[in-house]
Amino acid sequence: MSASAARSAPARLREHRKGLAAGRPLRNLKILLPFAVLVAAWWAIYLSVDFSPQVLVSPLAVWRAFAHLVSHGVMAEYASTSLRMIGFAALLSLLVGVPMGFAVGINRYAAHALDGFLRFLQGISGIAWLPLAIIWFGFTHTTTLVIVIYTLIVPIVFNTMIGVRAIPEAYTLALRSLGASRLRLVKDVYLPGALPSIVVGLRLGMGYGWRALIAAEMLVRKGGLGDLIFGARTFGQIDRIITGMIVIGCLYIVVDRLIIQPIENLTIARWGVLRQ
Amino acid sequence: MSMAKASNRSSARRALDQVAWRLLPLVPFALVLAAWIAYWTIARPPPATLPAVPDVAAALWELAAKGELATHVAASLWRLLLGVLLGAISGVIGGFIVGLNRSVSEFISPLVVFFNAISGIVWLPLVIGWLGIGTALAVFLIWNTVFFIVFQNTVLGVQLVPQVYEQGVQALGGGRWETIRTVILPGALPYILTGLRSGLGFGWRALIAAELVGATTGLGQMIFGATEYHRSDIIIGGCLIIGVIAIAMDRWLLLPIEQRTIERWGLVFDARKEE
Amino acid sequence: MSDMQSARRDLSCPTLPGPDVRKIIAGVLLIVLVLFGQQLYGRVTAAGRLNPALQGATGPRNVIVVLDFIPDRFHNERVAEYGVFAGRDGTLNRIRLRNVSPDSLARLAAVAWVARIEPLP
Repeated sequence: MSASAARSAPARLREHRKGLAAGRPLRNLKILLPFAVLVAAWWAIYLSVDFSPQVLVSPLAVWRAFAHLVSHGVMAEYASTSLRMIGFAALLSLLVGVPMGFAVGINRYAAHALDGFLRFLQGISGIAWLPLAIIWFGFTHTTTLVIVIYTLIVPIVFNTMIGVRAIPEAYTLALRSLGASRLRLVKDVYLPGALPSIVVGLRLGMGYGWRALIAAEMLVRKGGLGDLIFGARTFGQIDRIITGMIVIGCLYIVVDRLIIQPIENLTIARWGVLRQ
Repeated sequence: MSMAKASNRSSARRALDQVAWRLLPLVPFALVLAAWIAYWTIARPPPATLPAVPDVAAALWELAAKGELATHVAASLWRLLLGVLLGAISGVIGGFIVGLNRSVSEFISPLVVFFNAISGIVWLPLVIGWLGIGTALAVFLIWNTVFFIVFQNTVLGVQLVPQVYEQGVQALGGGRWETIRTVILPGALPYILTGLRSGLGFGWRALIAAELVGATTGLGQMIFGATEYHRSDIIIGGCLIIGVIAIAMDRWLLLPIEQRTIERWGLVFDARKEE
Repeated sequence: MSDMQSARRDLSCPTLPGPDVRKIIAGVLLIVLVLFGQQLYGRVTAAGRLNPALQGATGPRNVIVVLDFIPDRFHNERVAEYGVFAGRDGTLNRIRLRNVSPDSLARLAAVAWVARIEPLP
């Protein structure tokens, strides 16, 4: 038997893990390299064409604007406002939307009835309701919150509904035949079974909701990153606008890829078996 | 004889069930309408807060009669058409170029993720300085939204075409272009169409948002302009029209295209009608 | 024989949290940093901002809030929340505030972008 074949499975696994650990900095580099190339291209274009500062600024100017906004406490406050708003909206949307999705999903007729209605509501994006919300609640945080919740809740209800409907009846029948109560059924069958779909709905909702939030903040102008970049427009501060855009993108990526997507993976890994 | 009567009764019941099933989606709308009318009759809110149902209808009728409604709808749809066409074409072409080349797609992927995260209205403050207010701005924002969706779906579709089909064509002597035309294009088509369908929905929503902030005509501008005069009837009417157009486009334009192309190419693909 | 021993050792070793859990932890930490990082920094360095004459104040005081930069409207608005705005003290980056309660004084000292708080003579 050759020496390599004699290595046991655990030893191979250890080596594989070491290999992975070594590969991580390489993978991070692979993610950063395209952006480095992009910034380099940006700089090259900026240097070669004589842009007015109203049209484009250099990467250095953007960095300086970022440092300025952070050291002056502006960025922290505006970014926090947006993050708090989306977090609060997500929480409320889940608290209201998931039970609603359950209630509707359990009943075949209710699900069919609401399908078209939810699509209709989704077609009228939350932003379209912004003028009405402004009339009702004024230029306040309540307006923004209402619109973002509207945008977030529709995909959550929809996907919860789908998730519940996808649970094979065999599971509910089995537990009921063993004498399980309604509550028990929810806890042990519906919730785990629909959980992957619920997280998918949350993820979709956050995508729509974050955009709706930025748009709402642009109109309501009571703080938040949308307010920051729209306000900078008034003064022609392109460096601040681009800084804001980058922060908006980065924050969304952190929330989506570092928090929600892993949660999605974990729920599918644990409870996704029911899908088969 | 009694068997015939029984089967008549059950077939009648089945027909009734079918009709009921069809009408069921209308129930939530009817409920909302009923709640609206009930609230209005009981609480009598000021017209700026919640207009009566006939007021909304009257406002819409008035706008339609004056031709304003048609102008706004036409302006919006025109911008949507331009933006979606540009976005779809660039998305498909870009998607093919990137999808066919694994190292390029790996390199570009982080950039796509980032720019997708800021697609749409986030570009407004920047682009408004380049293009001003109006159609160009709206078309840019729609293009931006649609492009990333179509692009990502196309890349996915191209990459998911089973290699065995490509190899089959090449074994029979087909060149690169041959392979693309006969295998990859039909194979990626379901994904492209899904992307188009999503893109249209997103594009419509992005258009309304864009018009709210930066336009002189269009449905978005119509409802935002009405805010100044507290004309909730116009706002609600406008929102309803926005929703109706969204559903109409999806149901009568795209779904049939999607279904027919998939039938034609006989592609085995679980056309996700619920998404 | 040695392989079986190493196998047992591997099974008893606690495994690192998977990549997903690590991502979630990293993501949450980043968000917490954005939400509270600057506040925390401000609170930790608060002692250095308050002039010794103002430490342990028991009643409302009149102060000068000194910034390291020319304030935007944003900063003027925030500073004015802690007391009664009473104009500038010479240059634009020195703001006079009257009637600042001890509680507001403590909170003002914890603001990261305030350079110093001096007593108003």
